[in-house]
Amino acid sequence: MLYMAKRGSVVLKVSGLRRAFGPVTILDKFNLEVREGEAVALTGRNGAGKSTLLRCLVGADKPDDGTIEVNGTKLTESAVEIRRDMATVIDDLDFFPDLSVVEHLDLLARAHGLSDPEPVVDEILHEVQLIPQSGQLPGTLSSGQRRRLALATAFVRPRKLLILDEPEQRLDTEGIAWLSGRLKEERENGLAIVFASHEPSLVNTVATRILHLGAARAGEPLAPTRDESLAEPSLTPEDVVAGTPTTAEPGGQQPAQKTTQKQPAKKPRPSQGRKPKTPNQRSTANQRRNR
Amino acid sequence: MSTADFPLAENGQRAPLIAEDPATAKELKLMIKDWRTGRATRSLGQALSDGYIAVFGFLLVGAMIVNVVVQAQGVVSECSSQACTSARELLPWATFALCVAAALVLSRLFGPVLASAAEGFWLLDAPVQRSRLLWPRLLGITIAGLVIGMLAGGLISALTGSPLDEIIVWGIGTGLAASASIAFAAAEQGAERHLPTRLVSYLFGLVGLVALLAVIAVAAGWLALTIDVTRGTQIGFALIAASAIVLVLSAVLALGRLNQIRRTRLLSGGALVSGISGAFFALDFGLIRDIVVDRRAMEIGHVRSKPGRGIGLTPLIWREAQRLARSPQPLLWVALSLVVPYAVDALGMGSVMPIFAALVLFGAMVPMLNGLRVLTRTGGLARSMPFSTKAIKRAVVAVPAVVALLWAIAVVPAFLGFEGEHHPFGTAVLMAVVTGAAGFLGAVRWTTGKPPNFGGPAVASQFGAIPPGLIIGLIRGFDMALLITAPLLLGLSPVISLVIAAIVAIVLLSLDWESMKSQAEEQQKQLRAERERRG
Repeated sequence: MLYMAKRGSVVLKVSGLRRAFGPVTILDKFNLEVREGEAVALTGRNGAGKSTLLRCLVGADKPDDGTIEVNGTKLTESAVEIRRDMATVIDDLDFFPDLSVVEHLDLLARAHGLSDPEPVVDEILHEVQLIPQSGQLPGTLSSGQRRRLALATAFVRPRKLLILDEPEQRLDTEGIAWLSGRLKEERENGLAIVFASHEPSLVNTVATRILHLGAARAGEPLAPTRDESLAEPSLTPEDVVAGTPTTAEPGGQQPAQKTTQKQPAKKPRPSQGRKPKTPNQRSTANQRRNR
Repeated sequence: MSTADFPLAENGQRAPLIAEDPATAKELKLMIKDWRTGRATRSLGQALSDGYIAVFGFLLVGAMIVNVVVQAQGVVSECSSQACTSARELLPWATFALCVAAALVLSRLFGPVLASAAEGFWLLDAPVQRSRLLWPRLLGITIAGLVIGMLAGGLISALTGSPLDEIIVWGIGTGLAASASIAFAAAEQGAERHLPTRLVSYLFGLVGLVALLAVIAVAAGWLALTIDVTRGTQIGFALIAASAIVLVLSAVLALGRLNQIRRTRLLSGGALVSGISGAFFALDFGLIRDIVVDRRAMEIGHVRSKPGRGIGLTPLIWREAQRLARSPQPLLWVALSLVVPYAVDALGMGSVMPIFAALVLFGAMVPMLNGLRVLTRTGGLARSMPFSTKAIKRAVVAVPAVVALLWAIAVVPAFLGFEGEHHPFGTAVLMAVVTGAAGFLGAVRWTTGKPPNFGGPAVASQFGAIPPGLIIGLIRGFDMALLITAPLLLGLSPVISLVIAAIVAIVLLSLDWESMKSQAEEQQKQLRAERERRG
């Protein structure tokens, strides 16, 4: 069961966010609204502030100023409502060293109130191709398998908002293709997604909006407003909208930072939650479970 | 080096590199030594003179410890009750057996023969005999085992009031046994066998446990042992002889098999040591434990998955119980710690029993709190659960708390008293509960502690700049155990200790410091904004 908000309602609202590390301002006066059915991709080169922003969004990092609200609840990392609604995959996900892969997923599903999590767990294990590793302890998984398990923890539980930091990391080509499809499906089913990525295919498949974060560079009058590299192939000069410029510290040493925004290529579908399974799909899931 | 440095054959192709006179292992080692000494910025004397405060501190603390041991030996040696006699005769046996078990377990964990990644890459690939590179290492760890074993055996023998000749004999015997165990483990490492080392370690662990239980049984009057106190030295000599034979045989076997140890096995131990030593230099003891736990989990690799139960917080508690059933070793440590209050009482030191028992329980409880550790060291896993942090903490400590309660019930007879001070039943129950709570809450505090932040502001000290959390990290957990048991040590009512324990439990498990901090910061921010608006 998924918790679904009203169609079109704002799931994530960021107002006037500021985060600086010493004299270097990473984010300033940053505003963002993400509605259900929207997928916002954060792009930009290393150090642009993508991970910092995501860490602030999940409460793992504390902004110097500004507010973050999830479904109208002010963000604190331990707020129960937010933990219930927001699924995250960022670098700080840890695993119990002595619980197997399937036990982790079962635990999370049950913690979120799924009394019979087996079908869901089996399905997601099949999707992330970890069925052969289901009895393994996390320490013995390869880095790619660990990433798949981390992604599975986000998909095995009810959610309204997905926050993902470079989810394609360590995934093989096949894995990235699966992830693109899955995130697209999630978005079409009405979930709000914010993710940072350097993978063009993922960004182009999933995102309804792209925020290009430009990193401050000493000695340059302006940070680059867009990148013509493959990392942001869908960005064109026409796409560049003066979204929420971020400014540098006073003193003129840090150039202004600019955030560019691409409007949705197409409107998201009405949020209907996870699509109900067809009888055929149900039968396949049951067969997997029985196996 | 330019391409011109390589000889070219007549056809213009590169000629194969041929080493006609490869370096020997000795030459390689000399070369490395030469590099190291050549790059040293100060001599040993200069380093010692710079760290004179540390040297002085170690000498001072060492002298104090020796003085305490001598005093304790004098006091305990005058005790002639059956409990004291049994402890005097049996505790050295227990120490002997437990030292052997510990040496075997640690040897299996680290190798015992190991090599660093750099050595593995640069030296072990060279066309030299590995045994020539590795034998000094084997010798070093064997001597280390000898010294540590001697200290442990001699110390326990002295603390039980044994005469000097017995102290020396038991010290040498335990030291030789520990070094023989390391040599045995090295011999098995060369043969790629783990089972014999594991079985022998279990066997000696069991012998040690039985010896400790026998001390309790005699002290409690459940068992009457006829102990011949005149044979202690002779038995010690017999153990020395047996240990020496095992040491020589195992050492010969180990040396013969040094060439057969695979490089991955050598490097794996080296990686573990470097990880642990890195954490040790940062004084992050939690990280040391994490490394060991992860290592053990990787050794196990695969488990038979079990279904969960319930929804909400119930599956979290259920999984903790399942994890304990899957790896019940922590229960063994808790069971072993039960011996301490009885043994301390048997030795006539009932007045300091609460703190000793609490500290040992604290150490024994830490392995049971792996779940709490995982959920608090990083926020990721806790964030993925729809509960507040305090609720998660309470759920994952539920099973260990029940174990601590059972421990407290099991030590009530020790507080009722077999020797020396006797307490009424109600007081004994309260004291046992408080001691259990002290050990449990100490372990909770230790487990949930944050590592020192070397990136934040530092405090100036004689040892240079240190992060503020470093010193607190050293005493974390011990402070709670001492705070809660202090009223008992001072002869005050155990109700005071119970109140302190309740407050500590509320602070550790029911307050969400992060949320409170965030709220306070938010209020400050609002206050500032209001001030700016007004004026």
